[in-house]
Order: sequence, then structure tokens, then C-alpha cells
Amino acid sequence: MKHLFKYIVLLMLLGSAAMAQTITGKVTSETDGSGIAGATVLVKGSTNGTSADAEGNYRITLGSGSTLVFSSLGYKTQEVAIGNRSIVNVALSDDNTQLGEVTVTAMGIERAARSLGYTTQAVNAEKLSVNKQSNLVNALQGKMAGVQIVSTGGAPGQGARIQIRGINSIDPNRDNSPLFVIDGVIMDNSTSTQGSTARSASNRAVDINPDDIENINILRGGAATALYGLRGSNGVVVITTKSGKSGKMSVSYTGTFGIDEVNRVPDVQNKYTQGWYGKYDKTSFWPSTGPTVEEARKVDPSHPAQLYNQFKEGWDKGNQIKNNLSFSGGTDKISYMSSISHFKQNGIMPSTNFENLQARLNTTIRPSSKFSVTTSMSVNNSGGNRGNPGRYNEQLSYWSPRYNIREYKKPDGTLFMPYPALSQNPIYIAETNKFEDDVLRFVGSTKFNYTPFEWLGFSYTFGVDTYRENRLATAPGFQGLAGELLVFDNGGTGADGKGFIYVYNNKQKSFNSTFLVNLSHKFSDDFSGTLTLGNEVFSRNIYRTATEGWDLAIWNWFSLSNANRLAAATYQADYRLMGNFADVTFSYKNFLFLNLTGRNDITSSLLAPYNSFFYPSLNLSYIVSDHLKLPELIDYAKLRLSYAKVGKDANQYATSQGFGSYTGLPTGYTGFTRAALLGNPLLRPEFTDTYEIGAELNFFNRRLRFDGNFYNSISKDQILSVPISTSTGYATASTNVGSMRNRGIEITLGGTPLKTPNFTWESDFNFSANRNKILSINGDLGDEIVVYSETGYLSADVSMRLIPGESYGTLYGRTYQRYYTSEEKAAGLDKALKIDESRPIVIGANGFPLLGATANRKQLGNVLPKWIAGWGNTFKYKDLSLSVLFDGQFGHYAYNKLDNHIASFLQPTYTLNRNDHRVFEGVLADGTKNTKEVWLGQGIDPKTGLNYGDGYYRLNYRGNSEFFVQDLSWLKLRSVALNYNLPKTWLPSKFMKEVNVGFTGNNLFVWSKFNGYDPESLTTNSGSNVSGFAGFTYPGVRSYLFNLNVKF
Amino acid sequence: MNKLKKKYINFGWSLFLIMTLTGCKDYFDVGNNPNLVTKPNINSLLSTATSKSAINSRNYASFSTYYTQYQASPSEGSDTDTYKITDLSSTWGDAYYAMADIYDMLTMAEASNAHLHAGIGKILMAYNLSLVADTWDSGPYSEAFYRVPTVTPVYDSGESLYQSIGTLLQEGINLLSRTDAAVVLMPQADLIHGGNIASWTKTAYGLLARHQNKISKKSIYNPSAVLSSIDKSYTGATDDMKVSVFNGNNPWAAIAISNAGSLLGGWLSSQLINHLNGSTYGVKDPRLYKLTDATVHGVYVGTRNGRGNVGAANTIKDECYISINSPLTKTTAPIYIMTYEELKFVEAEAALRANQRTRAYSAYLEGIKASMKKFQVEDAGVQAYLAEKSVSVGEAALSLDEIFKEKYVATYLNFEAWNDARRYDYKYKGFELPYNADLPTFIRQVAVPVREITTNPDNAPAAQPVLSTPLWWDKQ
Repeated sequence: MKHLFKYIVLLMLLGSAAMAQTITGKVTSETDGSGIAGATVLVKGSTNGTSADAEGNYRITLGSGSTLVFSSLGYKTQEVAIGNRSIVNVALSDDNTQLGEVTVTAMGIERAARSLGYTTQAVNAEKLSVNKQSNLVNALQGKMAGVQIVSTGGAPGQGARIQIRGINSIDPNRDNSPLFVIDGVIMDNSTSTQGSTARSASNRAVDINPDDIENINILRGGAATALYGLRGSNGVVVITTKSGKSGKMSVSYTGTFGIDEVNRVPDVQNKYTQGWYGKYDKTSFWPSTGPTVEEARKVDPSHPAQLYNQFKEGWDKGNQIKNNLSFSGGTDKISYMSSISHFKQNGIMPSTNFENLQARLNTTIRPSSKFSVTTSMSVNNSGGNRGNPGRYNEQLSYWSPRYNIREYKKPDGTLFMPYPALSQNPIYIAETNKFEDDVLRFVGSTKFNYTPFEWLGFSYTFGVDTYRENRLATAPGFQGLAGELLVFDNGGTGADGKGFIYVYNNKQKSFNSTFLVNLSHKFSDDFSGTLTLGNEVFSRNIYRTATEGWDLAIWNWFSLSNANRLAAATYQADYRLMGNFADVTFSYKNFLFLNLTGRNDITSSLLAPYNSFFYPSLNLSYIVSDHLKLPELIDYAKLRLSYAKVGKDANQYATSQGFGSYTGLPTGYTGFTRAALLGNPLLRPEFTDTYEIGAELNFFNRRLRFDGNFYNSISKDQILSVPISTSTGYATASTNVGSMRNRGIEITLGGTPLKTPNFTWESDFNFSANRNKILSINGDLGDEIVVYSETGYLSADVSMRLIPGESYGTLYGRTYQRYYTSEEKAAGLDKALKIDESRPIVIGANGFPLLGATANRKQLGNVLPKWIAGWGNTFKYKDLSLSVLFDGQFGHYAYNKLDNHIASFLQPTYTLNRNDHRVFEGVLADGTKNTKEVWLGQGIDPKTGLNYGDGYYRLNYRGNSEFFVQDLSWLKLRSVALNYNLPKTWLPSKFMKEVNVGFTGNNLFVWSKFNGYDPESLTTNSGSNVSGFAGFTYPGVRSYLFNLNVKF
Repeated sequence: MNKLKKKYINFGWSLFLIMTLTGCKDYFDVGNNPNLVTKPNINSLLSTATSKSAINSRNYASFSTYYTQYQASPSEGSDTDTYKITDLSSTWGDAYYAMADIYDMLTMAEASNAHLHAGIGKILMAYNLSLVADTWDSGPYSEAFYRVPTVTPVYDSGESLYQSIGTLLQEGINLLSRTDAAVVLMPQADLIHGGNIASWTKTAYGLLARHQNKISKKSIYNPSAVLSSIDKSYTGATDDMKVSVFNGNNPWAAIAISNAGSLLGGWLSSQLINHLNGSTYGVKDPRLYKLTDATVHGVYVGTRNGRGNVGAANTIKDECYISINSPLTKTTAPIYIMTYEELKFVEAEAALRANQRTRAYSAYLEGIKASMKKFQVEDAGVQAYLAEKSVSVGEAALSLDEIFKEKYVATYLNFEAWNDARRYDYKYKGFELPYNADLPTFIRQVAVPVREITTNPDNAPAAQPVLSTPLWWDKQ
């Protein structure tokens, strides 16, 4: 190490003191004359080389040699004799055959793109940053095939969910999100729910500054991810951050400022005001079952002329600001990239915010052409006040629109309520009931590369990802002032409204070490091979503490010592994994490639002898266009074929049994109780077999590009914690039973429909459809798993269940009864899980449809989209560019709890028919057609004098889940970005190289039938496997962003 | 050559790393869950067992009190109110989770000669098992709690469960008399009797009296056995089987607080209110004012089961609810599992059936007085009530009707009241079927939990029972 350092210093001195001949010039593209950023310039026959800057300019100091070799990805390599010139400009022509294109594959191994028998898709910095997303997962949305991304809501810093090729595990407790690898380090992207599942937390990829990213490569499918082993079984997101370019230091500033607003709210009526049975009562709990506004104003002149709309007025205007400064430069021996950025966003829900301060330093040291050290380090501090959107929306749904929701505080600062029946105002509670997180994180890696011979190379990467997260929840207590209202939310168990302070800490660290040996050999002119051997070790430690104090002695002093009641808990988890692997590729005549891999894992989550297991993969790439003569219009044609087997270990501690803490006792008592899980020491690894076939075709000089895939993967022996009879004393048992299939297609189409010297139009379209089927769960022990449920009024609860033969995530709820004859009922046909739409609805003797038994719930839809698509377009006219991105997800359903709530209070617009008469279509219990006319209103029907009680909406409509499980399909104008590169002549001085101004609009339009907030918003967090619950969510936001980019 | 040497060093070092990690098995030996213990402290298990038993007495009462019409739902046609099939999977699980913990405590106690822990364990096992047996008739016991390694335990018949409960109580009594316990019972860990073994023995006899009295419809019923158990049971309210330690408020109080905060629940049935307010018996029972609060109109009104809210909107307080002002349901009130007054009525019933009228009548009066005391009724009120002719009927005129009428109030919100109602065939005065009831007669059992049907399909009853079918002890 000491020698190395000396060597580096010496080289630096030498580099700067060099006095030999210097050549400068510019490397441009032959097609459009633009500079080629990062083009490689080498002195032929030496290791002396440099790379061009962002504009294609280079400078190289010549020791000896007389020929320069210019190369860059996607261009043909060109050799130029220097002669006696000191300025050498070259124009490189496009390399349509992609002969030299190199792709970074698993474990950072570089392979010629043409040799890969599986698909990879990359997004570069330009495409990634076009819509200025602060969360890099959101930044990928709509840009990738086979990748489902859902931004679970519009809260500042809120997590985004990413799933590649659908759900892979039946067990709802397993992680289905892909592995994130940044510069060779396995990076945690979990979403913590410590302290609360309701508080729109971040997925931890939010810690990475998207502006630092050079490229994201997504590996989907077993063959592509085989070397990552079990941790890559849900796909891998490989992130490469920017590295320094040798040359003069360049400085780049990017600033973004924007405003956010709620993009979509439920439709509510504005005709009927507060009261009950149509009778006006301004003190009533009932927000809109009173008379019309006009009638109310006759008896109460203080009634506003128009009702308020709390679903609009309850949301603030949000704003966001980001400043990013980066520096890069270096010599051919040492280069660096460093950045610092600050992001701050204030949300549309009062008091919610998020802030992220990030810094990065990437360096590369190349003491010789054979040895390099690359270091990547990032540190950040992020967090903010997280709202509780579920509670906020519930309170909005209770609110009477007769009153202004913005009047919520008395002069003494306590809750003000304009009417006595309710003692909660969501804004007041959002402002007082706080939940703040604070993350300090370091992610870093160092990679040593040593290539002693052209045929032999070694690399070693050591990476660290460590963070501590502190969460602090506080609420002030009851002060006992005259007339003060008790705020129930601001209290703890047994001490309503008496304030609390909850402190949660989480320490997490993971290390990974990867050692690779690369060998290559040319057997003959036609036949060559490469071999990679590797070892990977991963370890992770988690330690969490929770200290909850409530019932505060002094109402606003947030100290644990001020709490009359305390509860505390700790949690610990350690995980270790080691993989040994090999990867061998044979190439025949550079058009046929065979790649074989094998990996053996040893995991700590299974017990010996099942903790060590091996699995192979195979893939084949065939460049048809280089082998056979194809029609002229086809430039390039490639066929891919692959098979992979991937093993997977168990969830942590699925093999353990024991006693946990019994939490039913207050401080001062300890209790133990049997752990809910019956751990199984005999668990075996589960395996997934994936077959994949694909093709890549380029037409018309690459003006049209097609890439298509079909895959079929089956996982067997899935490790599940299945529900078992609770009479065993356990709730679930770990066992190898489940089997699930995913099959699908992925298509990407890229094209350049228009291309003139001044104007280009680039278009990228991606489409994917995944079909999931649960083949079996557990033959002997029962046939379904209830994963999640949300309540509904009148038992209109909706649950998401897993059932064999169905796709993952079927929603069940209460429905109207359908007509069955008594013989059919005796045969149990009416108990079928599917609704038989062909049968009429049964109408009761009172003339209203009959609700089914709560025990006989029926299927109402599936939570997974049938297909997803994205369509991005970039138009460039001289220095002006316009990007337009559409994306959509279709054919999935969700339970809209918000609609169930507001229907119960007759707030939605559709309840305007509340005083209509109607004959419900259907049959009576005896099968005869219903002809009875009923009134939908409350109380006495003015027409018949009959008493209808609380009315149709409250007694009937709200109890039918069918109305509230709604089609969630959506299409979005995801973003429009307009950017202008100011002409150089406008720039104030030569000091400024480039100035770009732009405007971006995000989430501008949503087309969806869903009656609620943005259909992308979910109740469940970004780390959850539950989707399909979309009512009480943090609404999506529409953003207008202005950005400025200056390069010095 | 220097470089080449370095290469070998690098390579060798890495190889060493691989070898060490591969060879070092300890490195991967982190598979045991550090958040669980394998050998819990037996006194902590006792805390769990006593706490869970109290919570279960409440959890089982939370549905049965609709059947006994202490409570009524604010919503019309509520499933529980109207005898529809409901899914009590989690209530089933509550009893079994408690019994599994008790079973583990028993196993530990037997291994370490902790006879007192074992004795209490047997008694609590008997109590929790009786909750299951009296709700579903049959259920796993002989193969339950993973005592045999099966995840699909067989069901024992109701009669067999009854036998097991009797055996458990007798074994418990025997163990409590042992003086050679090898493990100290920490008083603080016993949330029911604070380590008082004499009280535990009385509780065991009290439960045995309940148990023996339950088969009053059967020919094998033996009232003198009931009375001899009563003789060894409670002598005053200080013996009550109750728990005052829980997280937060008394769970009934928690319902009352939620109801006040618009999460509706804890509405009292018109059956109960009419029983007390003079509508049914023409006598105002002073316990009424200690049990609930008057409505906004200053009167006492209940809600009819199955009918839901009537009158003003359901947030207007024009009916009666479980109250945080009542000594039985205030925030700090204990959860009563079995009381002195209840046993007095068991005594009255058994004595009457044995035709010991003097004993029956004095136990009846003592039961009323003890109940009044629990409700903190002032002496004048007690005396006035006892002076009523319909109350002080005299030894000769005393019938089961008076005893069940009074016991109904004494067992307010207790699961045991449902056992009584079934034994008494719901013949309380004015007791009517719920509005729009799903059954033509009163409910006698509940449906098999859905969770059992899906997870233990070979052993759970194949068909759902008709809910008006009596359990074995409820048949003549």
C-alpha cells in the first residue's frame, strides 16, 4: 500500500511536469458533427491515452509514437497519423453493426453486447434526468419494459415501488423488489415501517442523487442475473455513477425550482348540506344528509352561499427546490467527479416535507495501464416530517363542507371546531401529530483492477452500505385550558390526547466483497473463449430500538423523562451469504456465442445441509445478420435463447422457534409467548426455472429498432409461511410448498422517424405484459392466504387473497346476492367464489337488493395490471429540445376505501339521486321479477308515506364492496420537458461554456375511471407486496418545474 | 517482475480470504433468531397465562354479550345480533394461543417440579378450554398445542372436552396442595391472585362448581356435588378471580371511549335496560344508575338487538352505552373472570335443585347484596330494592326464575351468562328474538371458524352446524 501511494504521487508529479509534444483536437460524429463525449484517444502501440471531454475536445501529451487511435462506443475506430500537426480533429462514423459495443453485465463484467443471450436495457443520464425526479426509481418510470413502477403517492420523499416481471414469491412477507447494485455495492432499497406503516416512508434508493448517475442497466430474468445468485432473483438494477473525465476541471450547476399541486380529487356533490334525514342541523355529525343549501340558508343566514370542498381546500400548494453542483476533471492517471446537492420539498399535505443533502466523490487512479483503483463514495442526510394520509383522508371524509376546513385553530393554539359533533380537524392534527425521520447514510466502494496480461485480469471490490435512521414521533398533550377540545389522535394507549414522544432507532450496515478472475483465450481464428471465476461475500446487520413514552406531564415538552408511561423493545437481525461462481463464454466466428454460468450459495437463513446449493444457467446468442445474408433493410438481427435456474433461500429466521415478548402487559411486567411462526429447520432452498427467447432487429440504418422477449418462469418448492390451525398454538408454519408461474412478453421499439440536420424526432415505446398464476399453495393445509384487508362500512371489507389457480392478489368483498334455486343452493352453488353475472340480483321484500352473507365473500378483481406501457418522444430543433413521455398500467383493480367512506356520508356526486324513486332490477326470493318501487331517501317518503329509515346509501349501497372495488387502469402524460441551450454568443463570458434553461411538467394529465385521488397512489408502502388498496392515500401531485443548467 | 509478485500476493491473499470464509462455519452460523428465547422464565409465562386468561374472558364475552342481549349493535341487521353466521377465527385463536402458552408453562413446571405453577396452569387451561367447549362444542385438545407434532390436530368431542376440564381442575387442586414446590412463585407474576395459593384453590373449586352446574339439564347432574365445591370456594369479593393489570384502559372502558369518539360500539340492549329500569319487572333496580348513564333526554333507553339505531342520528346520545362511570367498566376497573356473587347464585340454583330452600334463599339474597356492593350501590338503595316483594319472595316462593333474573345482572358482560341463558332456555322475562333474526329460535352455538375449515379441513366439522342446535350439555 505504501509503495502504491508513492507510485501514485510520483506519477502525478510526472504528469503535471511533462514537457513533451502536446496534441489537441476535437472528436466529432460524422453524422451530425456533434462532439463525442468521452471518446478514447490512444497513442498507437503504447498505453498512453486520454478521453475527450463532454464536447469531444481532447488534449494528449505525446512521448513517442506517430499515430493516434480514436474510438468510442457505437462508432467505428479510426487511426490517424499525426504528421507534424499539433491539432488533430477527427470525425468518427457510426458503427451500425455494433461490433464493439460493450455492455456491463452482472458483477460489473464487461461483455460485447452482441454476445449476450439475454436482454438488458439501459437508461442513460439524459433520459433519466429529463423529468427531474428526486427518487431514482420514479425516474425510471415509463422508460423500461418489464418493469412495473408505482409511485405510491405524492408525499415529499415518498417511496416508489419497483417490480421486475411481476411478483415472484407467493409468500407476502418476501421481498419482491429487485436488487440494487451501485458501483459494485449491494445497496439497500428497503422501505422502513418502523414506528408506523402509515407514514409514506421513503424507499432507501432515495438516498442516491439521480444527477450523479451515468447509467442504469436493468437485468431481468434468470440468465441475466444468474451470477448475482439468490439476491438477484427479482431482477437487478445496476447503477453506475459518473466518473471523472480527464482534462481541465469542469463545473456544472443544475438548479430546479417547482411547485406541486394535487392532481386529482374525488367528485363530490355541492347541493346538500349538513343535517340528517334532510333536516338542517349545523351542529350535526352528518356532513351532507341535510337539505339543499338554499333551504338551509332560509333558516340559517350564516350558512355560506356555497358549500366548501374539503377535498380541494384540504391540500396545500407544495414546492420543491434542488441545487446540484458537480466538479470533474483529472489527468490520464487520476480523474475525479465530485458533487454536492441539496433538495427540499414541502408537500401538499400540511406540514409534510422532505430534505436531502447529498455529497459524492468518485475517483479513479490509473498508475499504469495494467492497474487501476476506482473509489466511489456517497454520503447523505435525508428525512422529513411524514404525514399520515390514511388518517388525514378519513378525517376529510367526516368533515362537513358547510364549514371551512382551514379554520382550525383557536387563538390559544388549541383545536377549533365550528361544530360540536366532531372533534378532529385533519389540518390541526397534521400540524401537531408529527413523525420525522432522519437518515445518515454512507455508501462506498473501492475496486482494484489488475490486468497483468491481456488474457488474465483480477478485480476485487469491497463495498459498504451503512446507515442509521432515527425516527421521532411527537404530539402535544391536553393542556386543560377552558373549553379546550381533547384531540384523541394526540395520545397513547389509555391516555387519550395526553401527548406522546416515540423514539425509534435503526442501525443497518452491510458489507460486500467480490473477487473476480477473468481469463480469455483465442483457440483459433474462429473460436475463442472467456472464463470468469468469482467469490462474493455479503453480510448484513440490523439493530433496532423503540422507546415509546406517552401521557406527558408537561404538555409540550418532548422528553422521554416527561412521559408517565413507557414501553420499549429491541430487534436484531444478522444475515450472511457467500457465493462462488463461474461464467464461461465461447464465441464462434463472432456471430455465435454460448455462455454458461454456475453459482453455489451458502446462506445463513437455511440450516446445514440445506444451506449450500448450486444452480446453473445457459444462454445463446446468434447474430443472424453476420451469418446469413438478410434483406437489405435489416441491418442487424440477433436471436437469443436462455435457460436459467436460480436458487433462493428462506426469509430470515424461518428456521427458528422460540418465545417472544408478550406485549399485553404494561411496564413493570414481563411476559413471554410462543412465537407465531412454527420455524422449520428442514427448509430447503427454492428454485426458479426460467426459459426465455428473444430477438433484436435493426432496420433502415438503425432508424427502427426492435427488441422482443418471451419468458416463462416457474418457481417450485417456494418457501412459505402458511397459515395453520391456530389450535397448534402457532399462526403460521414455514414450509416448502408453493408453486407459481410468471410468463410474459416484453417489447421495446425505438426509432428515429425524422432526422434532418436541424430537426430530429426520436421515439421509444415499450410494452410488457406479465401473466401470473399461483399453481399451488398448500394442498393439505388449506388453500388460501389472506394477505391484507381493509375495512368497509356495513362489513363491506375488502381483502387481498392468494388462491391456487388465480393470479397473485385477488380482491374479495361483500356483494349483492344472486339468484339461485333452492336445489342449486343445496348443492352449494351460491357459495362459489366468482360472481355469476348472468344471474339476476335478489331483491328483498322491502324492494332493495339483498347483501350477501359476510362469510361468503366473492372475487371482485385482481390487483396486478394486465399490461403496462410507456412511450417517450424527444424532438430536437437546433438548440431546442422537447421530451414527451406517456405511460400507463391497465387492467387492474383496487379497493377505494375513501369512496366507501364518503358514500356513507352521501358526499359523492353520484348520491345526488338520493331523493329518487327506483325499481331495482332483479328478482324476488321466489324468482319472480321485482316490481316494487322504493325511495332512496331518508325517513318518510313524501310520495308513499313509508319510512325508509337511514336511506339507501347508508343501509344498502355502502355495504356492497362491488361498488368500491374499482377499475384502476390509468394512462398518464407523465412528463413534458422543454429545454433550450442558449447560443454561445449570448453567454456573458468565455468562462461559461454552456447554459441550458428548461421547463418540465410532471404528471400533467391522468386518464382513469377511478373515483379518487391519483390511481397510482396506494395505501400500502413502497416495500409492501400488497397493492390494490387505493383510497386513503397521499394524493398524486402535478408538478411544474423550472430548471437551469450552467457549465463552467 | 515486481508487478508479477504483487499479482501473486494479491491472488494468494484473496484465495486465503475465500478459504477462511468457506472453512469458518461460524461465520454463517447466525441462523437462530436472536429476538426469541428458547428457555423463558416460568414466572414470566405465568404473567402471560394469567393476563391472557383475563383478556380471553373479555374476548369471548365480546360476542356472547350480544346473544345474552347485554349489548346490541348500533347497525340494523348486524350479523352477531341477528344470529347470522360469523367468523370467530381470531376468538378461537385467542384461546388456543393462551392454552399453548399455558401448555408450555406446564411442560416447564413439570420438568422443574414447579408444582404451584403447574397447579395454576391446569386451572387456567381448564378455564380457557371451557371457553372453546362452550362456544363450539368440539375442538382440538388431546393433539393440540403441537404436543404431538401435527399441524392438523384431531377434534375431541364436547363430552370429552368436558371430562378433560374436570380432570384438569382436580389435578390443579391436587398440585396446589403440594408443599414441595421447587420453584418460587413470584407474587407479582400472578396477575389474578398475587401468588395467594389459598385463593387459587378457592378459584379452582369455584370453576369446578360452574363446571358441575353446567350439566343441569343432564340426568347425571348432581347438585350436592356442586354445593360441596361451593363450600370450598369463595367467601367474599376479595376472592374474586380478576385481573387489574393491562395495557391502557379496561377493555370495556376502551369501547366506551371509542363510542364517545364516534367509533360506535358498546350500545346496551333494550333487554338489559328494560330488565333494570322497571319496564319488565316494575321495579327500578338501583344498579342501573351504576351500570350506565342516562341519555341526553335524562331517561334510560336500550337498543333492540337487530334493530340498530332508531330515533335521532346514531351520534346523538339518546340511548344507553357501556359507561366509563360504572365501577364495572371504568378505565381502571378489573376484568372479572368469576365473582363471589356469581358463585352465590350457582349455590342458590344448586341448593334449590337439591330442594335445600333455606340455603338457596340465603345464597340468593347474599348474591344480590354482593352484586349491589360491586356496583357500589348505596345501602339505602340496596335495602329499598330488597324490600320489593318481587325481590324478597321468601324461601317458599323462590324459583329458578328469580335466581336467573338476578344472576343475569350479576354476570353483566361475562361470558358465563351465555351458558346460563342456554341452560335456562332464554326464559328471562321479556327476552325476545332479535329483530329480523336469522333463526326461528334462540342461538345455541356459533359457526366453525373459517380459519379452521381452511387449515384443518380433515378434522374440523364437515358441515356448518345449524346455530340453533344445542351443545351436548344443553340437550335434555
